[in-house]
Amino acid sequence: MIKFLLMVNKQGQTRLAKYFAEFLSTDERRALEGEVVRKCLSRTDKQCSFYEHRQYKIVYRRYASLFFMVGVDDDENELAILEFIHCFVEVLDKHFGQVCELDIMNEPEMVHYILDEMLVNGQIVDTNKTNILEPVQLLEQAAA
Amino acid sequence: MQSKLEKVVAGLKTGPRFLKELREFDNLVKAIGECKSKAEEDRVISQEVELLKQRLSDPKLDKSRGKEYMVRLMYCDILGHDTSFAYVKALQFASDSNIHTKKAAYLALTQFLDYNNNLVLLLVNTLLLDMKSDNYLIVCTALVAATRLIGPDLVNAVYPVVVERLRHPNEHVRKKAVMALHWFGQLDPRREGALAGVELEKHFRTMLCDKAQVAWEPGGTHGRGVAQDPSVMSAALCALHDCIKLDPRPYKNLIPSFTSILKQVSEHRLPKTYDYHRFPAPFIQIKLLKILAALGAGDRSAAENMAAVLHQTLRRANTSHTIGSAIIYECVRTITTIYPNPQLLAAAAESIATFLRSTSHNLRYVGIDALAGITALNPSAAAEHQVAVLDCLEDPDDTLKLKTLELLYKMTKANNIQAGHGAGTRWGLVIVDKMMGYLGSCTDEHIRKDIVRKVCDLAERYAPSPAWFVTTISEVFRLGGEHVDEADGNRLVRLIAEQDASLHTSAVEAYLQLLDGESAAATAAPVGGGGGGAVPPPKGARRKKLPESILLVICWVLGEFGHLARRPPLAVLSRLVGILTAHKAASDRLRGCLLTALAKLAAHTGGAAGPVGQALLQKQGSHHNADGGGAAEVAELVHKCLNSQSLELQQRAHELQALLGCSPAVLAAALPVDASCEDFSPQDLEQVATLPFLEGHVARALAAGAAPYLPPEARGARAADGASKGLRFEAYEPAPYAIPLAAASTSYAAASVHDTRSSSAATAAPAAGGGAGPAAPQSAPSFAEPQLMIKTTGGRKWGPAQYETADYGGTSTSSSHGAPAATAPAAVAGAALSKSGGTHHSRSGSAASLTSQAPSERERLAASLFGGGSGGSGTTVISKPAPAGQRQVNGGAAVATAAVGPPPPQQRNPMDLLLDLDVPTPPPPQRPAGTATAGPPGQGITPPQLGGDWMDSLLHAPAGPAPPASSSLAGLEPARGGVGSFLGPATVSNGAGAMMYGMMQPLAPPQQQPGGMPPVMGMSGGMGLNVGMVPPPGGIMSPAPGHGPGLGIGMVGGPGAYGAAMPLQPQPQGWQSQQQQPMSGVMGGGMGLAAAPAAARGPQPLPLQSQRQADPFGDLLG
Repeated sequence: MIKFLLMVNKQGQTRLAKYFAEFLSTDERRALEGEVVRKCLSRTDKQCSFYEHRQYKIVYRRYASLFFMVGVDDDENELAILEFIHCFVEVLDKHFGQVCELDIMNEPEMVHYILDEMLVNGQIVDTNKTNILEPVQLLEQAAA
Repeated sequence: MQSKLEKVVAGLKTGPRFLKELREFDNLVKAIGECKSKAEEDRVISQEVELLKQRLSDPKLDKSRGKEYMVRLMYCDILGHDTSFAYVKALQFASDSNIHTKKAAYLALTQFLDYNNNLVLLLVNTLLLDMKSDNYLIVCTALVAATRLIGPDLVNAVYPVVVERLRHPNEHVRKKAVMALHWFGQLDPRREGALAGVELEKHFRTMLCDKAQVAWEPGGTHGRGVAQDPSVMSAALCALHDCIKLDPRPYKNLIPSFTSILKQVSEHRLPKTYDYHRFPAPFIQIKLLKILAALGAGDRSAAENMAAVLHQTLRRANTSHTIGSAIIYECVRTITTIYPNPQLLAAAAESIATFLRSTSHNLRYVGIDALAGITALNPSAAAEHQVAVLDCLEDPDDTLKLKTLELLYKMTKANNIQAGHGAGTRWGLVIVDKMMGYLGSCTDEHIRKDIVRKVCDLAERYAPSPAWFVTTISEVFRLGGEHVDEADGNRLVRLIAEQDASLHTSAVEAYLQLLDGESAAATAAPVGGGGGGAVPPPKGARRKKLPESILLVICWVLGEFGHLARRPPLAVLSRLVGILTAHKAASDRLRGCLLTALAKLAAHTGGAAGPVGQALLQKQGSHHNADGGGAAEVAELVHKCLNSQSLELQQRAHELQALLGCSPAVLAAALPVDASCEDFSPQDLEQVATLPFLEGHVARALAAGAAPYLPPEARGARAADGASKGLRFEAYEPAPYAIPLAAASTSYAAASVHDTRSSSAATAAPAAGGGAGPAAPQSAPSFAEPQLMIKTTGGRKWGPAQYETADYGGTSTSSSHGAPAATAPAAVAGAALSKSGGTHHSRSGSAASLTSQAPSERERLAASLFGGGSGGSGTTVISKPAPAGQRQVNGGAAVATAAVGPPPPQQRNPMDLLLDLDVPTPPPPQRPAGTATAGPPGQGITPPQLGGDWMDSLLHAPAGPAPPASSSLAGLEPARGGVGSFLGPATVSNGAGAMMYGMMQPLAPPQQQPGGMPPVMGMSGGMGLNVGMVPPPGGIMSPAPGHGPGLGIGMVGGPGAYGAAMPLQPQPQGWQSQQQQPMSGVMGGGMGLAAAPAAARGPQPLPLQSQRQADPFGDLLG
């Protein structure tokens, strides 16, 4: 299962963090994120997109200045997670239109809502873009 | 956006203040975005937190901006700041009518709280209301919040509503409801807590099958009608997967459903919207494959049923896109998990070949992983990929390299089984080599630990020669010693001990070189007064310090075999002592091992007259041995240890000195050359176990009026009759001062026999009970004892019950001798059986004791004991085993029992030497009652079996089988005894942590300790003789309980300190769970030296148990 998802820019600043199943205190999260991010940023394109950290396997992918890192347990298929990240980015792109870091910063709650449609309890429940965006778009209309 | 515009317009109308507030969020985002450093970011957020506190506490809070506040709070939280001030506000916003505010509030709460937070209680009502809302978005939001916030306590409040939502017309709601149930299921996976009796699975099955029908309607391109969305099925798959992982059996009947769904999915029969890069619903496929793997593992018929669909899935996926590779990879994982199917395996192997040939690191990574799965079933599969595998091994990418190492590790294991030892060995060596290389460069602690474990495992399995093993393991110690399991150290020592002299020599040389490297680094530093370069030189800094685990091994090896070194003994000595220069913070355990090693080295190189012996015995400050570099330090070390706060160190130091003062014959018997592997036959051990040599002693004790030994059962019966079962509240009577003092010699002998049977009060008066009283002068200190005991033992140990059960007549003799000042160690056996450390505290009776804590009492004691300055030679305490049964010395406290009878105890005591064998306290039951008496001098030695008394390693006369040695010792004793020093009662205490002065014991109420105690007792005198027997191989380090006798003894003698130590700690555990004792404890225990023959007990397993029941060990251990 997926344990957490981080969005961190290349300066190492966290833009979004979502944890599943286990609840870590603020300090624990800070420490974990620091270590994970440091390791991630030190990797090069020539290396594979996975590494192990403590009990987690980290799968990451970079889009422009933003890194998406997903911590999973031993049971997950790394390639699938890698593609899941891409799928997520595609959904964001569809919603925001040419998504960029600033979109995510301005509307982090939307990113969370989208993620809630795709991932529940650390499981991938839906990757159908229409399904995912329907409630989100409905919500936006409700705002009007 | 539109609403924002409206607000701006509204803001323009209301004035500048509103506008300013409106821009707060944008300003925050901008500020965060512009931060250049973590510190700056923290400052921005701290300001934001202050601002939010102010805003949220404002009574005129603008509710319409609730969402914005929540988002700002989430920023603070994500960036690591405490937001607890706003939790209550968030709870309020959650019941807001505005859907945006509500959603944002729920989101914030799921980020801030976990289900154990009490605030969640306040939310339950809102949550339930929202789940029943007409707006499905709100229902979904509430259900998602439930997956984060509902804990076991609240499940039942929410469960019925969630189940109802499973029939909601909107598929989003159904999907979320399934996931909420999935969460509930995880809270109580076995359905034995909050969800006992709830059949979640039933719902999952319904949701799956229901939807599955949809899936197999061809042309399901439509969307929405009721019950027609594969996404709900997909959610149900997640839930079922977890149930199946837990226990696949009840779900076997779903296999046809799963295979059917997978078939249809892979045939593209789901709506196009589920496609991802033209692959049909890949994530659903992968989930299904995982489920099939769990269902087909080890189940032939299930595997056959799914073979066709697996084949199809594998064929339909392709590597044109990563997601296709992901499906293939998952297929391979499934194929290698289920009951093996040759065709599928062949297909899988082909797919893997593609991965391994790829230039993508990611694909090679999964290729290696998949290959590991296949080689587990078919070891030859890897052969064709050798080149690719080796490439991965050389790859600069750590992740890939690690994965490859793991593959190789798995392959070697498989190879060993299939291809015979030769191939396995070859692989094993290559891999060990690679792993070591990696270990040297890796810095991640988790990974290092893992590698160390694997290397040790492989090295042990494939070592081509002992020499290779020794070198390799030593290297592992050097590189990653902090992660080496203690057991590996033990194994290494054992292995070295079992080999011949040439290996011993090479091990010695190898270790000396290691130390050379260290001391070169250490001495390069300014060696200040007293030899302490505080700051290691750059070179030293670069070179890692040797970890303690390897130093312990080195100490043992150099002690045992140092005489084989090609360099002169003094050079070896200086290297050993150099360890302390390099490791200022060396633990007492290490120091103890070092002392023992020095003693052994001295014994093997000419004894007191040899160069090492001279160095050890020289007075501090007098360096008559100018050539030996370490001579000065040695003297200092010994001197420090003599006055150490650590009883064990004191004891060892005293033992060392005393032993070196003995005649060469005694020394040789005590520290035999290379005797660590001596063998005992079980018969020998059995014989020892009966303690034949104690008979005379017992007889004498009986004659003097001591009570006969009663087996514990009988004792229990007696206690049952009158005695109080509960706690006894009245105080013990003070010890009678009146007891006759042994006027005669300068030393006092205290021998008392307690008869516990007599009223409880009797305990206090040791002398009274036994006929022995008269004979044995009571030692002055004894009266002090009660107080001490209390302290040491801890209230619990005092329990009357224990008391009652205690044996009576325990005899303990402690001799204090007045040795010239420092020399005589008093014996104390502290057996600290404490769970934790198993440290023993022994106090030396000598003047040194003054240094220890508890000054006043101690001083008083010391004064009373030694004040007279007995002139005699230093003697130690010997405790004799009392009448057999007796041993139970006490309780948490130690009870000393008294010594025995004959009036002139002093003379008799057999060994004045250091030997202390403590009273074997242990298992009363076993010993035949009568046995114990010790007749002749020699008896001091207790048979190993008994307690661990002897732990003390050194001294141990050869216990059991070794009558000869003991006799020789015995012989000596008398002579010494003449000197008069010896007195009394030895004490043994085992209690937890109890330390006793020798004398004290008598007073102590004899409590019985739970059976456990015995082992440790032995601290006392000491260092002595190791009896060397080590049982055959296994013995040394491995406290395998099973071995019974052999082992126990083995420990003792063997590897001296190091090895021996191991058993100690475990004991406590051992008692409880006998067989497991093992080594774990070993290192931990402070006692490195003493080897407690934990194992000793082995032989008598049954009795043990019975004993245990009698007095629960638990008491001791707490």
